[in-house]
Amino acid sequence: MTRANKTRDSGIETIQMTQNPSFSLISTNKIIQMSDVSTSYDSKNYALEKINLSIDRGTNYAIVGQSGSGKSTLLKLMNGMMNPSGGTIKIDYIAPNMNNKKFKKMMHTIGYIPQSLGLVKNITVLDNILIGALPRLNKVQSFFKKFPEYEITEAKRIISLVGLTGKENRKAYMLSGGEKRRVAIARALMQKPTILLADEIVSELDHVTAKEIMDLIADAQKRMNLTAIMVHHDMQLALEYANRVAVIKEGQKILEIGVEGDTIVDFQTGDMTTEEIMEMHADDTKK
Amino acid sequence: MTPKNNIVIGIVVGLVLVASYNVEANPLEFVEGLPNLGIILEEILVLENIIDNMKYVPSALLAMLETLQMAFIGTVIGVVIGLPFSMLAARNLNSKFIYAPIRILLAIIRTFPSILWAMLFVIVVGLGPFAGVLAIILYTIGFVTKLQFESIETIDSDPMDAVGSIGVSKFQLIRYVVIPEAASHLLGQMLYMFDYNVRQSTILGIVGAGGIGFFIIQYIRFFEYGKAAVYLFVVLIVVLGIEWISVKIRDKYIVKSQHGMEVTKK
Repeated sequence: MTRANKTRDSGIETIQMTQNPSFSLISTNKIIQMSDVSTSYDSKNYALEKINLSIDRGTNYAIVGQSGSGKSTLLKLMNGMMNPSGGTIKIDYIAPNMNNKKFKKMMHTIGYIPQSLGLVKNITVLDNILIGALPRLNKVQSFFKKFPEYEITEAKRIISLVGLTGKENRKAYMLSGGEKRRVAIARALMQKPTILLADEIVSELDHVTAKEIMDLIADAQKRMNLTAIMVHHDMQLALEYANRVAVIKEGQKILEIGVEGDTIVDFQTGDMTTEEIMEMHADDTKK
Repeated sequence: MTPKNNIVIGIVVGLVLVASYNVEANPLEFVEGLPNLGIILEEILVLENIIDNMKYVPSALLAMLETLQMAFIGTVIGVVIGLPFSMLAARNLNSKFIYAPIRILLAIIRTFPSILWAMLFVIVVGLGPFAGVLAIILYTIGFVTKLQFESIETIDSDPMDAVGSIGVSKFQLIRYVVIPEAASHLLGQMLYMFDYNVRQSTILGIVGAGGIGFFIIQYIRFFEYGKAAVYLFVVLIVVLGIEWISVKIRDKYIVKSQHGMEVTKK
C-alpha cells in the first residue's frame, strides 16, 4: 500500500500539528474554512466529496490533482460561482454565495484567474486591467467609462510591475500566452484583493515563462500579503512555490502537506521527504 | 438513392406542381410575354433615348441621396434603440421572465415587412420620407435585435464569469465585457442592416413613403421605361458601391478581429 492510500485511509484531516509549529492549523487567522464540503454537477456523481480545508491568511496554497479531479470546482466554490450541496464554506467568516449581500460586498477582494484567463479580447491591456477597479466606480463613472486619474495611475503601476510597460494599448488578442497571463494577474491585482485564486495559470507555458509567471505571483503575494490559492497539475511546481499543498483525487482530498524550504510535513502521517511526495504523486498519477 | 429519398423528392415535386396550379403559373405565358420585354429594352437601349434620358441622372441621384439618408437614419436609430432590447432578449444575461416577453414583442415587430409598416406610417404621418424612416426604424429594431441577441448568446462565457466573479453590476458587465466582446459582430450586423435598408428604402416609395422608389413606380405606371431605367441604374450602382465598401470594412476591421488576428492599418 502506498503512502497516499495510507493517508486516504486515515480519514479526515487532523486538526493538530506535528513537529513544525509554523504549519499549525489551530489559528484564529483562518481566511478560508471548508468543512465536509461536497458538490456535484449532475446530482449523481460527486465532483467533490467531504472536503475539509483550512487556510491561513497570507498562505501560498496549492491544490494539485489530475484533470477532472475537482480542483477547479474547489476554486469556484471559494469565489461563490458554485454552491456546495453539502457542508459549509466560510471566506473571511462569510458564506460565499452570490445571493448573500455580505459576500457580494466582499467579492472584489477575491481575485480570480480562470484557466482560460477570462480576458476581454477586443479591448486593450489597460482597459482589461482597469476592469479590476470597476467595483470602486460609481454609476456615472461606469456609464461614461471615466476612471479616476488615480485608478489609471495605479493600473499603469501594476502594468509596470507585471512587465507589460509599452503594451498598454495593445488589444488582448494580440498578446502572447505569457503576456495574457500577466494581464490576467494585473487585473486581479487591480482589485486590491486579499485572496488570489488562480486555476492552472502556467499550464501550456514553457518552463522559463512558467517560472517567470510563478515568480511574479509569489512576489505580488509577499508585497500585498495575499492569500494565494493556486491550482496546478505539476506537483514539482507546487512544492517549489507553495507553503502548503493539498492533493485532490476523484473529488477527495487525499493528502495535505506543509512545505518550508526543504522540509515537508504530511499533516496526517508525519514528516516526509520531497522525493517521497513526488514518488507518491507519481504512483497516484499512474492509477 | 433510397426509396425513402424517392418518396421525399416525389412529395416535394408534387407540392410544387399543386402550388404552381394554384398560383396559375404557366411557363407558356412567360414565353409568349417575352417579346414585351423586348419592347421595353428597345425603348431603354436606343442610343438616342439613352442620351435623352441622361438629363434625369441628377434628379435620380438626388432621389437616391434621400433614400440613402432614410436608410442611414433608420439604421442608426433602429440599432441604438434595438441594442438595449438585444441585451434584455439574451438568454445568457437574463432570466426567462425577462427575455421571453421581449422576444415575443420583437417577433411581432419582425412579422410585418417594412413596406407594411410604411403603409401604416403613411396613414399616421402622411406621404413622404418621414413615414419611410419610421418604417425602417421599426423593422430594424425587430430584425437587428434578433441578430444581436443571437450573437450575444454566442460570446465566450469565460470573460463574463471572470469579471462577474469580482462583484460588478449587470450594467458594468454589459458595458465592459458583453459589448466589447460582441462589438465586431454588432458592427457587422449594422453594416448588413444598412445595406438591407438601402434596398428596402428603394421600394418604400411605392406606397408613398419617400425615396427613389416613388419616382420609379411613377415612371413605370406611365410607361416611361427609359426614365425608370435611369433611376434603376442609379440604384444598381449605389447598392453595388455600398456592398463593395461594406466588404472592405468587414475584411479590414471585422473578420480579422473575430479570428483574433492582428489588424494592420495599411
